[in-house]
Amino acid sequence: MGRAVRRARARARGSIRAVAAPARARPRPTGLRAAYAARESTLLPLATFVALLAGWELGAQTGALETFFFSSPTRIIAAGWQEIQLPRFWNDVSVSGQEFLVGYLAAIAIAVPFGVVTGWYRSAHDFFDPWLSAFNATPRLALLPLVVLWVGLGMESKIVIVFLGVFFPVVINTFHGVRTVDANLVEVARSFGASGRRRLLTVVLPSVVPFALVGMRIGVGRAVGGVLVGEFYTSNAGLGNLVFRAGQTLQTDRLLFGALFITGLALLGFRAIGSLERRFGAWRPRVGSA
Amino acid sequence: MAELEARDIEMEYERRDGTRVSALEGVTLAIEKSEFVSIVGPSGCGKTTLLKIVNGLITPTGGTILLQGRPISQNSRDRAMVFQDSSLFPWFSVARNVAYGLECQGVPAKEARRRVQPYLEMVGLAGFEQHYPYELSGGMQQRANLARALVVDPQVLLMDEPFASLDAQTREMMQAELLDIWSQSKKTVLFITHQINEAIYLSDRVVVMSARPGRILADLRIDIPRPRTLAVKRGDAFRAQEDRVWQLIEQQARLTMKATQLRTEGAAG
Amino acid sequence: MAVLNGRAPRGPSRPGPLRRWYRANRRLALGVAGIFSVLVPWELLVRTRLVKAILTSSPTEVAATFVTEFQRGSLWTDVRATLAVWVVGFVLAAIFGILIGLAAGWFRRASYVANPWLNVLYAAPELAFVPIFILWFGIGFGFKVFIVFLAALFFISINTIAGVHATEERFLAVAHTFGASRLTIFRTIVLPGSVPYIMTGLRQGASRAVVGVVAAEFISSNEGLGFLIILSGQTLNTSRVMVGIVMLAAFGIFTGEVFRRIEQRFEVWRREANT
Repeated sequence: MGRAVRRARARARGSIRAVAAPARARPRPTGLRAAYAARESTLLPLATFVALLAGWELGAQTGALETFFFSSPTRIIAAGWQEIQLPRFWNDVSVSGQEFLVGYLAAIAIAVPFGVVTGWYRSAHDFFDPWLSAFNATPRLALLPLVVLWVGLGMESKIVIVFLGVFFPVVINTFHGVRTVDANLVEVARSFGASGRRRLLTVVLPSVVPFALVGMRIGVGRAVGGVLVGEFYTSNAGLGNLVFRAGQTLQTDRLLFGALFITGLALLGFRAIGSLERRFGAWRPRVGSA
Repeated sequence: MAELEARDIEMEYERRDGTRVSALEGVTLAIEKSEFVSIVGPSGCGKTTLLKIVNGLITPTGGTILLQGRPISQNSRDRAMVFQDSSLFPWFSVARNVAYGLECQGVPAKEARRRVQPYLEMVGLAGFEQHYPYELSGGMQQRANLARALVVDPQVLLMDEPFASLDAQTREMMQAELLDIWSQSKKTVLFITHQINEAIYLSDRVVVMSARPGRILADLRIDIPRPRTLAVKRGDAFRAQEDRVWQLIEQQARLTMKATQLRTEGAAG
Repeated sequence: MAVLNGRAPRGPSRPGPLRRWYRANRRLALGVAGIFSVLVPWELLVRTRLVKAILTSSPTEVAATFVTEFQRGSLWTDVRATLAVWVVGFVLAAIFGILIGLAAGWFRRASYVANPWLNVLYAAPELAFVPIFILWFGIGFGFKVFIVFLAALFFISINTIAGVHATEERFLAVAHTFGASRLTIFRTIVLPGSVPYIMTGLRQGASRAVVGVVAAEFISSNEGLGFLIILSGQTLNTSRVMVGIVMLAAFGIFTGEVFRRIEQRFEVWRREANT
């Protein structure tokens, strides 16, 4: 019994080696060791992280790590504290935020129906496929000069780049979602007299939602990348712009603060979509159950 | 006049390489009101195809289906099908699933819920209305499946190997329960199965189909009196019937097995 | 799938020869139609001056530019430069990515430490740190390779870990009954089983690497396809921009297809192993 439980836990914690280990009678650890073993999966990375931070700070203080190149945790926090008190910072946040949201939401609004249509109608898919594949394989960056040429240097160009970055993962994933709709379930609906519209709403769309959400999650990363790259290329405001200027003026502390702030926002975005995925995928049978 | 009639049903289709395959040939069958008829036959003999034709999901290449003397329409409100395993929508609750047929007919949600309740109780799922399919066992899912078909009050109930994915013990219990429910509603039932003893236990008549192209080989009346308990399966009369049907099927089953062998050998060679 | 579209199959009939060709080559026909439905209006809009040629060029002009660039030979230098960065960066990412992935998947403690880091780094926008990379590496070949390396590394690692974790319990059970050592288990069960996942990781990593090259060249370069695009964009040589884009798209599609084919070979094997 203990062996099976240990194996299952090892699996859950993510390692094959423990599972592959031949069963061996071992004295049960007690007390502190047991407490540690139970939480090792969180304690170990936490400890390494703290150790890394401490080492970093120490290196900066003793001069082993040149602060010009690497800064230090305390300096970054100090720079950040200064930064967020400036209204200019919040203007940057707002600009980047708008570029992100408008592009992201617009892309989803168009990509999901598009993905459903191309998934449902074979002819639509075959018709659009060449351009979709070509665009998907092209790095959006390459289109940046063209986009700026067309819509100007302002927020619009970033919005377009964000749009392009979110559009394709959502279309592709939604497409897959439609293609993997269980044909049997569609037949069940049909046998009860469900109209085409009802079949779409009650069978196709619910099965598609988890896939679309995956695409949207990928889209968050792409959107952030799009905002940054657009602002690096040409901008006078925004978080990417902030990081860029800090780099140009060799202000390493501000630079790293900005980069970490952006990273934090991106992670928040992923978390948000992740929780949506959990909520709307709740009906899926857990992997491993019959 | 028979309640449900199939006259000279033919089903042909074209394979990708252009060859024509005949799935059903000259199938003629008549079912009386409140009769429970089972169809048994080897794999691939077209049983499911026939059922789908009766349900209106497929249009046969020849022949007609008559319900109470009139040709059936594609819109199948007077027939309901119970599918094989896992045909409940995983994203809807049990109650919403069972109410689906009503929903398709335009019944408002509240009214549908009201109508669904007695059927849930009938199949023993009272209290599970808000559960999701993945939380239910196989037997419970099939009960919900049955309730979904019964709730639309069809003239004919079509069942496509509904117990195929259940383990042997659950299967036996579901058979007894099905008979129990059926005796309350006395629907006309067309039931498809692989298992001969299941067919004999449940039905008034057992129809034996040949291997592809599917034809009706025999139509046997089962004279075992109702109500039938599971113990009936161990009786002599039952065993005798089973032998009769098996003799008819055995040859067909061998033909099918040989055909599958040849096909895989051909593919590998 | 007649059932999926809600229509029952119709009875037999003899369609004309044109219809038959269309039905057999539907994908091709529709695809070609799709391509032309953009190219033709584009050309017309530019010819009739409804759209300024300088904004978008036109299909014929782009084709002409292609030819001249080829003849001039400068295109090849750019292609070679981009390719060099891509290959070095990708190969490094593949080697490190697979090694890290295998170690993190196999050793329990390594996975505890690596997993959170990999997940965060994978999700983090690498571009945000580009200015600090410039500070560290300057702008040159090393910088570009580093960007490409980072772009592909995490994809490959995460997929490799997934591959190791996907090792099926029942195969491990077989190994136990025959008393296989842990090294043998790794070599004969875990590793082969991970290959399909590793291939997926490599495929995605390859396309991420292309994005990485272009990004790096945008920021710091004086050669390469990305540089070509940016320079032509700034000098309003739209045709050349299009040429660069087409080359990149072609490269992206090409690498994607190559990896997909390799992946498919392993996919077949994996499915057969499961039946």
